[in-house]
Amino acid sequence: MRMLHPVGVVGVLSLLLLGSGQGLAQEELKIGAVGSLSGGGTDWGVATQRGVDLAVAEVKAQGGLHLGAKAYMPRVIMYDDQYTGQGGTTAAQRLVNVDGVSFIIGPIGSPAVLGVLNVTRPRNVVVLSDGFSPKILVPESTHNFRVSLTTLEFAPAIVRWLREHQPEVKRVAVISPNDAVGQQVVPILVNAYKANNFTVAFDEKYERGMNDFTPILTRILAGGVDVLELDSNAPGEAGLLLRQARQLGFKGTIIQTGGPAVEEAMKVAGPLAEDFLSYEIFDPADPRGAAFIKAYREKHEGPINAYAPIMYNATQILFEAMRRAGSVEVEPVRTSLEHLTGYDTIFGPVRWGGKSEYGIDHQLLTDFLLVRLKNGKVEMVSHLSP
Amino acid sequence: MSEQASVGIRFHVAIRRSKLLRAGAALLVLVGWPLVIRGNYLVYIATLVCLYAIGAMSLHLILRMGQVSLGHAAFMGLGGYTSAVLVTAADLPFVLGLFAGGAVAGMLAGLIGPILLRLKGVYFVLVTFTLGEIVRLVFVEWISVTGGSSGIYQIPAPAPLFLDLTAYYYLALAAAMLVGLFCNRLLSSDIGRAMQAMRESESLAEANGIPILRIKVVMFVVAAVLVGFQGSLEAHFIRYISPLSYDFSESLRFLVMNVIGGLNSLAGPILGALFLVVLPEMLRGWVEIQWVLYGIALILIIRYVPGGLVDFAARILAFLMAPRQVGVS
Amino acid sequence: MFTVPVLSQIVLNGFVLAAIYTLVALGFTLIFGIMRIINFAHGEFAMLGGFLVFFMLQVANMPFFVALPLASFAVAGGGLVLEALVYRPFYQKELQGMIATIGLSTVIVYSAVLLFGSHQRSIPASFTAIFTIGPVILPADRLAVLTVAAIALAAFYVFITFTRIGLAMRVVAQDLEIAEAQGINARATYRAAFFVATFLAALAGGLLAQLYSLSPFMGTLPLVKSFIVVILGGLGSIPGAAAGGLVLGMFESFVSTFYGLSVAQFASLGAVIVLLVLRPEGLLGRAER
Repeated sequence: MRMLHPVGVVGVLSLLLLGSGQGLAQEELKIGAVGSLSGGGTDWGVATQRGVDLAVAEVKAQGGLHLGAKAYMPRVIMYDDQYTGQGGTTAAQRLVNVDGVSFIIGPIGSPAVLGVLNVTRPRNVVVLSDGFSPKILVPESTHNFRVSLTTLEFAPAIVRWLREHQPEVKRVAVISPNDAVGQQVVPILVNAYKANNFTVAFDEKYERGMNDFTPILTRILAGGVDVLELDSNAPGEAGLLLRQARQLGFKGTIIQTGGPAVEEAMKVAGPLAEDFLSYEIFDPADPRGAAFIKAYREKHEGPINAYAPIMYNATQILFEAMRRAGSVEVEPVRTSLEHLTGYDTIFGPVRWGGKSEYGIDHQLLTDFLLVRLKNGKVEMVSHLSP
Repeated sequence: MSEQASVGIRFHVAIRRSKLLRAGAALLVLVGWPLVIRGNYLVYIATLVCLYAIGAMSLHLILRMGQVSLGHAAFMGLGGYTSAVLVTAADLPFVLGLFAGGAVAGMLAGLIGPILLRLKGVYFVLVTFTLGEIVRLVFVEWISVTGGSSGIYQIPAPAPLFLDLTAYYYLALAAAMLVGLFCNRLLSSDIGRAMQAMRESESLAEANGIPILRIKVVMFVVAAVLVGFQGSLEAHFIRYISPLSYDFSESLRFLVMNVIGGLNSLAGPILGALFLVVLPEMLRGWVEIQWVLYGIALILIIRYVPGGLVDFAARILAFLMAPRQVGVS
Repeated sequence: MFTVPVLSQIVLNGFVLAAIYTLVALGFTLIFGIMRIINFAHGEFAMLGGFLVFFMLQVANMPFFVALPLASFAVAGGGLVLEALVYRPFYQKELQGMIATIGLSTVIVYSAVLLFGSHQRSIPASFTAIFTIGPVILPADRLAVLTVAAIALAAFYVFITFTRIGLAMRVVAQDLEIAEAQGINARATYRAAFFVATFLAALAGGLLAQLYSLSPFMGTLPLVKSFIVVILGGLGSIPGAAAGGLVLGMFESFVSTFYGLSVAQFASLGAVIVLLVLRPEGLLGRAER
């Protein structure tokens, strides 16, 4: 019997091996992220990090992002923006010029977002961020998208609901921090209240970091109000305001058209949080939301900051856009993002809007909820649309 | 002695003798490196270093008199806001904004300086801290002018040319060098000597006829004007400002730059600015523990190298330049 | 607005604020008066006290009145380690000590962020009762804070006035050279002063956490208030810290209730500057030597 020529054997075996391995040529896909990991916005920055990491972990567990014959392993590169404009600019500089990323998730605070956009706009880098400033979404925002709702989107519907369901209520007090969010958002909210026939009796601002609200609440309660609006307060402060107001004997409606801060409110105010009304982003009873919560809880403890699911969602949307475009190049992905309508996410199907308010349809529109705290549990009151 | 060694020694000696040559070499490096090492990010950081060097040097003037100001960022803010508001709202050219910024900062310093500078030691520290807080609150509350906490966006660059990072770097470098030369002149002049005397012993200086309060006020105003310039330059560089850009931690940064760099010479704040702008950037890889390491670095430096980085560098240089025994052939 | 319920509420709020401010400022002024260091990390000891109380309540299920002093002792004890490592080389060196404490403050805050996370958290309320005496509303948690603070301040007063160590501290604060000439062990006095100061700060932190919320960044505000209180009362003066705390607490309570918070802020800062210029040694301090 003739022996099979060794070279031939080796050759055939190699071809077989090569052939089987060829299915998955792996390449790295860098995803940039910017968030506040120090300073006043650290809660949000950490939430961003967790959300993005979760979405990326899911893709990695699937063996990477499969586009045709290639699989891309995503890698997150995240930098601290220190919640300032300068920090955002520096982080973006590094991501774009040093690390060479073409896609950035975050940041959250308007100054940081604008700082990032300063760098990314001339370079056509895709940015999926938050930020309330009216300068973020403008007709020229070809490459940046806003992935969370702003007061302009959710306040009118909520205030209308309040008017319909509590017709006897008249006087509103708004308490908010005097930071950028508070100063920007409150006028929008106040307008919504006035448009629905409420009197805004108090519009009080405080310096963040201050924790004793009893003087300001005493002042408000002495003036007699029916509704206490907690709007743009951070979760901790919202909880404190709720608790201290109830401690002082306030019996009216306490609502937060913003946040959401429901978990924290429950923790801080305990039984005093009963009947607290709040804006909520997703329905924990919804199976899609539940899956996210479970995945989050496997890695982290503590209350879930709203930006974790929001940025998780943003990253997922980005990946889907890449899949549909079959590419990781900026232009195809960007176009794909704009046409992603209908893709089902933890917040429901993707819908872009904002043409009439901002000049471009780059605002992610999601349905949202109004919830109430009853007996220590979150109860859904109503499904609302922007 | 070998040929090479003797040439080496002659070169060594020539370098040491020729201050001009050294200065020229340094200038060449400072101006030339962006053309050789292309990297937008590095140029951006270098520009920030130049801008912060201006402010740090200006604080140095105050520190040289033995007064510690924890409110220096307030004057930077006045410069930044004045310039930004004038250019965005009133459409004035950048140069006017720059000088107006310095002027407004200087005016406040001139107005309250005579009152505040009567305080010494810790009291001066606390009153400047309070001043810084009040000015910041004004920036936050005076929404109609400053835009409040949202700040002022899309501040235009001084000219379309300066949208290029390298161009702005040269502008900042030029400004920093001018300020450095100016401060150096000031400190080596009669006034500088008077300041030195004041720092050592105020009562003695006064007895010698030095007009203490007047000098303090003048220096305070000069420092305010200079850091006001930084405020304006920085505002038109980052093109966005907010009250957060000028809070207590910024004032602290200037002080820390000076202490870490070294309190005894003008090189101190320059080195300090370099160190404190670059260090957080170098630590970016470790995002979370970045700040912990930064704090530890501060403690170690202030503990073991109290003369600051200048002292540290001087010691190393002395060690390196010490005449060595040449091997006997 | 000048009704009894409102006015009494304002006074109660004022006392609560005053109690906390005084507790924090006392420690701050002790450290400055005796060791001549502006302790920028002082607020962080309060924060650590708050977190320790939180963990004792959550994990070990201790009652609040046990956890609070225990936590304060623990923080003060831990503080002694920091005292040896970080503070000791800088006694009597104002500027460098200040920088070192700034560095320490950064280290503590961001270590806390790494350990505990950055989010605000709150201690489950140990006192949910709300008492009403006529038209006046007295939440039990505020009453508890007032009681604890009153006891602590009284104990401190007894300590500083009637004990040997207390006397030693006062003498060292007055004049270091003479104190040493008299045979007082300066090192031991420093350690004692540091321990007491940190204990008070941690106590205040535990109370703050009970009333408000916890976060690694919560130390900044107590620090800033300490600055203001000691300016009002006089740096290095112990009765001054108490007086300053009372004045600031009442002032803030009244002004912010009647005029809103931003006015109160400007007013207190403005008053501070005026006071510093006209009478830098504060209400009860001594003029700088």
